[in-house]
Amino acid sequence: MIKGSYRQKSEDELVKATLDGDKLAFGEIVTRYQNMVARTVKSMLGDSVFSEDIGQEVFIKLFYALSDFRGEAKLSTYIQKIAVNLTLNEIKRRKRFFSMFSQKGNNEMYEFEVADHETEEKKEASELVGKALMNLDPKFRIIVTMRMLHGYSTKETAELLGIPLGTVLSRLSRAQQQLKDILRKI
Amino acid sequence: MKVTDLKELLIRSLDKEDDAETIAGKLEEAGVTFRFSGGFREKILDRIYSSESSTFHEIEFVRGLNFVFYRIAVAGVAAIVVLLLTLFIVQDSFSLNSILGMGNSYDETIFCLLTGN
Repeated sequence: MIKGSYRQKSEDELVKATLDGDKLAFGEIVTRYQNMVARTVKSMLGDSVFSEDIGQEVFIKLFYALSDFRGEAKLSTYIQKIAVNLTLNEIKRRKRFFSMFSQKGNNEMYEFEVADHETEEKKEASELVGKALMNLDPKFRIIVTMRMLHGYSTKETAELLGIPLGTVLSRLSRAQQQLKDILRKI
Repeated sequence: MKVTDLKELLIRSLDKEDDAETIAGKLEEAGVTFRFSGGFREKILDRIYSSESSTFHEIEFVRGLNFVFYRIAVAGVAAIVVLLLTLFIVQDSFSLNSILGMGNSYDETIFCLLTGN
């Protein structure tokens, strides 16, 4: 099958073809959702090789879980859940291992660098958002990422993260306050 | 987009009433994008499909190992049975002494044998 024809295929067709051993069908799934995963992973973990590794893990985990995918939810939601879980696990792991070595003072800010971008203005915009996110508390950061970068509603965010809607709403207003403080310092 | 406008947009994106999808679109237009490096897709496909073939080889190896182990185990059990039967015929019992080859000897005999007295 020629590569272009995969672009016309629906999610279900691609999943079925992947399960039948079609390598290019899974390649098309990666192509379609890699930017979505990058947004989640990189905005939470920073722009580094570790984020690339977690991004790869997301799709590898998806590949082995595809046989369990019933098609009740959208494939994008399914992938997003895997990305969120792996990213939060990585944050927990880093917190456990590096908390005792952290030298960051109260007024010091985490930096965020973007490797390459189309224009300098766009690079600066990504770096500003990345820096703001990296300095947010991780439990706020995931909610801000879902809302700000993915455009999910509060209800969708609650469903994705598996937390009550009330928790999302309260964290959102606390995150907004924290974000204002951070942006003032940048 | 100016930095001040961008900051304002970021704060507004967290307003409960505002349409988050529209704001996410505006941020993307402003250049706020996060992408993986080139060759990301190929790296994943390589990792998945090369590990699949190595997994296949691993399974084949374990299967072979199980087969060989089964053969050795059967032969081993047969040898033990033959040995016990021979022992029973020669020593006329299954006692610990006969299994250890000391069926007809006494402690004193062994003592004499070892000390030479």
